[in-house]
Amino acid sequence: MSPSWSRTTLALAGGLTALALLTACGGGGAAGSEGTVTLTYWGWTKGTRQAVDAFNATHRDTKVRFEEIPSGTAGGYAKISNAVKAGNAPDLVSVEYPTLPEFVSQGAVKDITPYVTPELKRKLLPQAVRLTTLGGRNWAVPFDAAPQVFYYRKDFFTRHRIEVPRTWDAFRSAAAAVKKADPRARIGTFFPDDPTTFEAMVWQAGAHWFATQGDSWKLDTTDPATRKVTDYWQGLLKDGLVHTHVSFSPGWTNSLKSGATVGYLGASWGAGVLKGTLPDQSGKWAAAPVPSWDGRPASGMLGGSTTAVTKSSRHTEAAVRFATWMSTSADAVRARVASGESSAYPAAAALRPVARRAFDTRYYGGQDVYALFDAAAASVDGKWGWGPATGTTNTTLKDEFGKVAGAGGGTGSLAAAVRAGSDATVRELRKRGLKVMGR
Amino acid sequence: MNAKARAVTVLLTPFFALFAVVMVLPVGYAVWLSLFTEQQSGLGFGGTHTVFSGLGNYAAALGDHAFRDGFLVLLGYCALYLPLLLAGALTLALLLDSALARARRVFQLALFLPHAVPGIIAALIWVYLYTPQLSPVVAALESGGAGVDFLSPAGALPSVVNIALWEWLGYNMVIFYAALQAVDRSVIEAATVDGAGAWRVATGIKIPLIRSSLVMVALFTVIGSLQLFTEPLILNQGSGSAVTSSWTPNMYAYTAAFARNDYGLAAASSVLLALVAALLSFAVTRLSGRSARPGRSPRPGRRLPAAPRTPLTHPVPSRTPLAHPDASPAPLAHPKGRP
Repeated sequence: MSPSWSRTTLALAGGLTALALLTACGGGGAAGSEGTVTLTYWGWTKGTRQAVDAFNATHRDTKVRFEEIPSGTAGGYAKISNAVKAGNAPDLVSVEYPTLPEFVSQGAVKDITPYVTPELKRKLLPQAVRLTTLGGRNWAVPFDAAPQVFYYRKDFFTRHRIEVPRTWDAFRSAAAAVKKADPRARIGTFFPDDPTTFEAMVWQAGAHWFATQGDSWKLDTTDPATRKVTDYWQGLLKDGLVHTHVSFSPGWTNSLKSGATVGYLGASWGAGVLKGTLPDQSGKWAAAPVPSWDGRPASGMLGGSTTAVTKSSRHTEAAVRFATWMSTSADAVRARVASGESSAYPAAAALRPVARRAFDTRYYGGQDVYALFDAAAASVDGKWGWGPATGTTNTTLKDEFGKVAGAGGGTGSLAAAVRAGSDATVRELRKRGLKVMGR
Repeated sequence: MNAKARAVTVLLTPFFALFAVVMVLPVGYAVWLSLFTEQQSGLGFGGTHTVFSGLGNYAAALGDHAFRDGFLVLLGYCALYLPLLLAGALTLALLLDSALARARRVFQLALFLPHAVPGIIAALIWVYLYTPQLSPVVAALESGGAGVDFLSPAGALPSVVNIALWEWLGYNMVIFYAALQAVDRSVIEAATVDGAGAWRVATGIKIPLIRSSLVMVALFTVIGSLQLFTEPLILNQGSGSAVTSSWTPNMYAYTAAFARNDYGLAAASSVLLALVAALLSFAVTRLSGRSARPGRSPRPGRRLPAAPRTPLTHPVPSRTPLAHPDASPAPLAHPKGRP
C-alpha cells in the first residue's frame, strides 16, 4: 500500500465526511442585500400566498418569502416551536388566538408593544386586541376574528320543512327532525379531535375557563355554563343526533358530499372551507347565526389567526409593519378573499366592506354572509381569555373526547373529559412554577 | 503506524465521525436535556428560564399514570401480538416449505408484499378501513348484523395488532422459511422412512431445528414493540379514536415535546424507555442463550452425538441435526461463550 494511495483515501474520506456534514446543516436565513429587508413568513390560512404576493408587488424596501406549513394543530405549531428552539425560525408566523399565550409563555414570540400603537388598536375588533394582550403587553397583530356561524343545507331544510334553529333547544328538535326525515342524515358533527369547537360553545354560553387574579391563575371548568354545554352535547351524542367525525377528515367530507351531514357548526372562515371542499353543492348552502341559549345573539370565537414576530427575527420593526399591512390594508384583504377559498372576517372594521365585496356569495345563493359575521362578531364575549398551557389543555381534551365519542357509544363522559383537561392544565402550570388558585 | 493500520483508521473515520454526530451526540444531548426544566414566573408571560432539576423530570414521568399506562399497553400488545405473529408466520412457513415449488414463489411474494408498504401508508389505509361510515368493511359487518367498533377503547389494541400483523407476518415468514430450507433434507427423508407424517415431521423435526430463528424473531419483535409509534400515532391523529396521544411511551415522549413543549420531560421519558429496552434485551438474550441449548451438546463436532432422544431420528454420525442445534442460518449468531 503506497503512501500516495492512503493520502488519496484520506482526502476522499475527509471530503465525504465534510460533504455529509454540510448537507446535514443546509438551509439558514438569508439576510437581504443593502437596503432591502427579506422577511420569512410561515402560515397556512387560505389566501395568504396571494396576500403576500400583493405585498411584494407594492413594496420595494421589504420582501416577504412565504412558506406554507401544515395548519397549527396538524403539526404547524410543533414545527414553529422546534424552529424557535433551534434558532432558525422565520421572522413571522401565523398563530391562532388559543395558542398565542402558549407561545408567549415559552418566549417564542417577541413583545411588540412599542409598535402596536393606539391608532392601530382602534382599527381592530376590541375582543381580538384583548386576546393578543397578555400581561399588559402586545404580542401579535390580530388578523381575523372568527365568530361562530351555523351553516346548513338550505335545500334539505326547506324540502323537509325544518325550521332553522335559533336556540339550542330548537337545535335539538331540528336535529331530531333531520334524523326523522332521513335516517342516515344528521344536523351536525361532534369533532372529537378538535376541542376548540367545543370551547367556542362553552365560551358562547358564558364560561370563563381561564382567569387571573394578581399573579395567580384561576381555572374554572365546573361553572353552570360549562355544565350546561357538556350535558347538552352528551345528550346529542347519546341519542345519536350528531355524527362523530375527525374535523376536515375524508370521513367528514364524504359525509357532507353524500348528504349525510346537512349542517356545520363552524366559524366565519368556514364559509370558504365549504366552498372549497364541496364545489358541487354551490347554491345549496346557507348561513345562520349560531343558536344561543336564550335566543339572543351570542358567540364565542373558533380559531381566528394573528401574525406574530418570532424571537429569532432580527427585523422586528419591518416584521410588524408587514403584519400590520396584512391586517389593515385593503389590498391584502382583497387579494386574500379574491383567491376564492377564504372567507376571512378581518379584525379591522374598515376592511369588512372590502372583504364583503371580494367574497363571491353565489355559493350561498347571494346571501350577505358578511352581514351575518358582523352581527356575530359584535356578540362575542370579550371576557374570555386563553390560558398559557393550551397545548396541554387541548391535547388532554382531545384524548378524552376520543374515548367518549367512539362510534359504538364510547366510554366515559364529556364532563369527565373536561375535568381531566382542567386537572392536566393545573398540573402543567404548577410544574412550570406558576401559581394556581383554589385547588 | 504501518500503512495498513493507517488505511483502516482512515476508512473507519467517516463511519465514526457520523456515528458520533448522529448517534452519540444526540443521545448525550437527550440525557443532558432530561436534567433541566423550564420555569416561569408571574402569570407566565415573561418567557422561561431553564433550571437544573436533577432527576425531577424522571420522577415526573414515572409519577404520571399516562406514562406508566403506556407500558401496560405495550405489555398487552406483546401478549396479543407475539403469539399470533409467531404462530402465523411459522404455520405459513411450514405450509410453504411443504408445498409445490411454483406455488412457493407466488405465495412468498404475496405474503411478503405488505412489508414493502411503508408503515405510515399501511396505517393510513387501515384507518380508512376502521372508520365507521367510511369503511366498506365496517359497513359490511354492520349489514351482517355484527357491529364492530375498531376504534373503541376495547377495539383499539386489537386494531393496532392487526395492522402490525399485516405488516410483519410475511417478513417473519420469510425468515422461518429460509431457516426451514436449510434443514438437512436427509433428516426429513429419514423421518419419513421411519413412518412420520407431515405433522410429526413439522413438530418433531422442523420446529426444533429452527428454534434459534424463533427465539431471534421473538426477541426482535419484543424490542421492536417497545418502539411502537407510527401506527398508533396515525390512529390517534386520523380517527378520533380511543388511542390517546400518550398511548405508548414513545408517543408520550413525542407529545411531551411537540404538543406540550416540555423537552425535559420528553428527554427523560425517552431515556427511561431506552433503559427498559436495554434491560429487556439483556434479559431476553441471557434467557434465550440458556434455552437455546437445553442440555444437548453445545459444541458440535467435539463430542459424539448424544443418544437419539426421539425414535424418529436416525443416529447418523456427526450429521445428526441434534448435534447441531443451531444449524439454521439465522441472521443472529447464537449467543456465545456459555458452556
